[in-house]
Amino acid sequence: MGDTTTEFFERVARRGHEPMLDKARGTIRFERVDGARTDQWRVTIDCGDVSVSHGPGDADCVVRADADVLDAVASGEANAFTAILRGEIAFEGDPELLVLFQRLLPATPGRAPMTDGAVPHGARG
Amino acid sequence: MSDGVVTVLDGNTFVVSDRRGDVEASPTDPTGLFAFDTRFLSRWVLTVDGLRLTSLSVDDLQYFENRFFLVPGTGTVYVDATQSVIRRRAVTAAGFHEVLTILNHDDRPVDVTVRLDAAADFADLFEVKDALEKKGAYHAEVRDGALVLAYERRRYRRATQISTSAAAAIDDHGLTFEAHVEPHGEWSTELDVMAELGWNDVGVTRTAAAFRRDREHMEQELARWVGAAPSLECDWEPLRVAYRRSLVDLAAIRFSPPITPGRSLPAAGLPWFMTTFGRDSIVTSLQALPFTPELASTTLQVLGLWQGTRVDDFREEDPGRILHEIRYGELTAFEERPHSPYYGAADATALYVVLLDEYERWTGDRQLVRDLEQEARAALRWIDEYADLMGNGYVSYRRRNEETGLENQCWKDSWDSISYRDGRLPGFPRATCELQGYAYDAKVRGARLAREIWGDAALADELEREAADLKRRFNRDFWVADGEYFALALDPDGAQVDALSSNIGHLLWSGIVEDAKAEPVVRHLMGPRLHSGWGVRTLAVGEGRFNPIGYHVGTVWPFDNSIIAWGLRRYRFKQEAARIASGILDAAAYFDGRLPEAFGGYEREATKYPVQYPTACSPQAWSTGTPLLLLRTMLGLEPVGDHLVADPLLPDRIGVLALLDIPGRWGHIDAFARGPSAEGRRALQPELGASGLG
Repeated sequence: MGDTTTEFFERVARRGHEPMLDKARGTIRFERVDGARTDQWRVTIDCGDVSVSHGPGDADCVVRADADVLDAVASGEANAFTAILRGEIAFEGDPELLVLFQRLLPATPGRAPMTDGAVPHGARG
Repeated sequence: MSDGVVTVLDGNTFVVSDRRGDVEASPTDPTGLFAFDTRFLSRWVLTVDGLRLTSLSVDDLQYFENRFFLVPGTGTVYVDATQSVIRRRAVTAAGFHEVLTILNHDDRPVDVTVRLDAAADFADLFEVKDALEKKGAYHAEVRDGALVLAYERRRYRRATQISTSAAAAIDDHGLTFEAHVEPHGEWSTELDVMAELGWNDVGVTRTAAAFRRDREHMEQELARWVGAAPSLECDWEPLRVAYRRSLVDLAAIRFSPPITPGRSLPAAGLPWFMTTFGRDSIVTSLQALPFTPELASTTLQVLGLWQGTRVDDFREEDPGRILHEIRYGELTAFEERPHSPYYGAADATALYVVLLDEYERWTGDRQLVRDLEQEARAALRWIDEYADLMGNGYVSYRRRNEETGLENQCWKDSWDSISYRDGRLPGFPRATCELQGYAYDAKVRGARLAREIWGDAALADELEREAADLKRRFNRDFWVADGEYFALALDPDGAQVDALSSNIGHLLWSGIVEDAKAEPVVRHLMGPRLHSGWGVRTLAVGEGRFNPIGYHVGTVWPFDNSIIAWGLRRYRFKQEAARIASGILDAAAYFDGRLPEAFGGYEREATKYPVQYPTACSPQAWSTGTPLLLLRTMLGLEPVGDHLVADPLLPDRIGVLALLDIPGRWGHIDAFARGPSAEGRRALQPELGASGLG
């Protein structure tokens, strides 16, 4: 099924070497929670070499979010750092790795500050 | 902070209370327990048998610990001096720990009702500043013997947990104790106030034993920090006090970002700026380089981690840009403010390269320069590709976030700081002069790094050509011929914004001033329009917007003066640099060695003492760093290759000055100086000691 998160990780997998991540080393596991179903991806970065596998496994950093939130982050509609501050993304482990990984996320399209009571635009996907 | 307010802090967590230890915050009053830009306790009021207490004294035990000595009753009413109360409070990683003790001095036992009122408004620091209304819901509950105060807005949740070692009746508004105290005995309870951040597990409840271990660790860490810095010997007491104060305050305001636990960098100041600021962290690291070079290393790494990689108008991010400010509060979380991070600074990116080069010159740490090559190159590219908004070869700024971005993206960031002589404000973009100096310095220093460490001679040549061209154009376009100084800025038409300001002193530091123009610039800096007797004013007397208590339009900023003194040294105006040092250090003596962010630009002769700017932050990182940089300029310390050379010139009131064990690429070395007032005394070595301790 072609959800935004899956498409995003497929694109990341095709990047190969990413110079912006030359200093990063480690594995981040992303968990996309959609009702009873949880999809997982592991992104391993080794000094800029990026590889992606679909499924569970060990990680230095774990990022867990509902499907709509993770899709919004993967499409660039939502910012991962503020989603963490809002409690919409849970993470544990090495935060430095996550800061570096943010460089792979698409830029947020020309956006205005969020209005209260609404999820970031597009986040309900 | 105003008088009578006590501040204890640890990195990003701090408590501001009155001298009784009480907190009674109003919506706009900056008292309370703050952690990560959020107020986790806005009311914390102690009563004994329904009476407020009176403060006898407050001890600052450590920067993270205070002890309040109190007696029940207020004003002249306290006739019953048979009891005293001690509150001993220490800030911890996630809140504070308070030991409350009641002493009975009477021959009979007493039973008293002890009450602690508690409330939390969970205000974002921006709300405290701007008095905004909350959008979420509050609730309080008693859970597992602790009072939990919470605030929720959608999935954003912050909570404060208050627990006690002694039995208490707990309700939604506080804790009540029925204390029985034996004759000449005492009653005591330990209280823990923990901030729950909601996005990590910092707020776990800890045992008293764990707390004591933390405190021992903090005491050891402070002793290590002070011990690792050079030791100072001097016959002028105020300088010794200021030096010690600076080292301790610098330890206190180091900020360990949650994103890089275990590392620390200077945050900007209390209470508004206890967070990561690009510009302030860089400047403080520069000031502290001869003393605590590890700050610079951390600052460079953390700012590099957050370096911009994309174009984002809300955050004013560009590829290569160094952040201005990062925040963790509710308004940032809901993107009502752009600090996640916010990149609206036009100077931090060039200063990043300046710090990297200066750091290597002192420490010889070539590895860090190699590790950060990509970041430094991106920063240098930003100057040319993103900062030249007018296409005229000068760095300028105009905010892209019209709603919550900063209008002035230079260090003088208040709305009225950049003006013509007649007080008019220019349009945007604005190319302030010091930005050109920083860009010039970044190119010159970047060229050295490229040639000597990155092995890229072509880039070095290019940067040097660009720097020379920038210097030539700058000295032509910014020079105010009829006044013989550099304009504060160029306006959108390329015309001079011609007010006389302290910014011209930064130009000396950057080296962009042609030699022939240095002398008239120095004459202005030391003349009566700019120099107040204490230091150089931000804006000269006689300019349209001059106001001796205007934030950036007439006050004297200690940090500004330390950079100016450094600039004067660079152009060999040693006497003038010593005069700047002496004025600012004289002022420090009036503040027990702790320089405020700014003080009034009144004539020294008129007030006799420096008037603190009304809402200035204190301690504040780059004011804390100021005595350190002034020490460097008085001693004339300069790394040359693998050596440290000294060329001291001391102000009149200092007879002898020795700085021992200065760390750097030379190992450790001592510097000695003798001032004019040392005549007739047994002289110390007049110049740098050769006693390298390796």
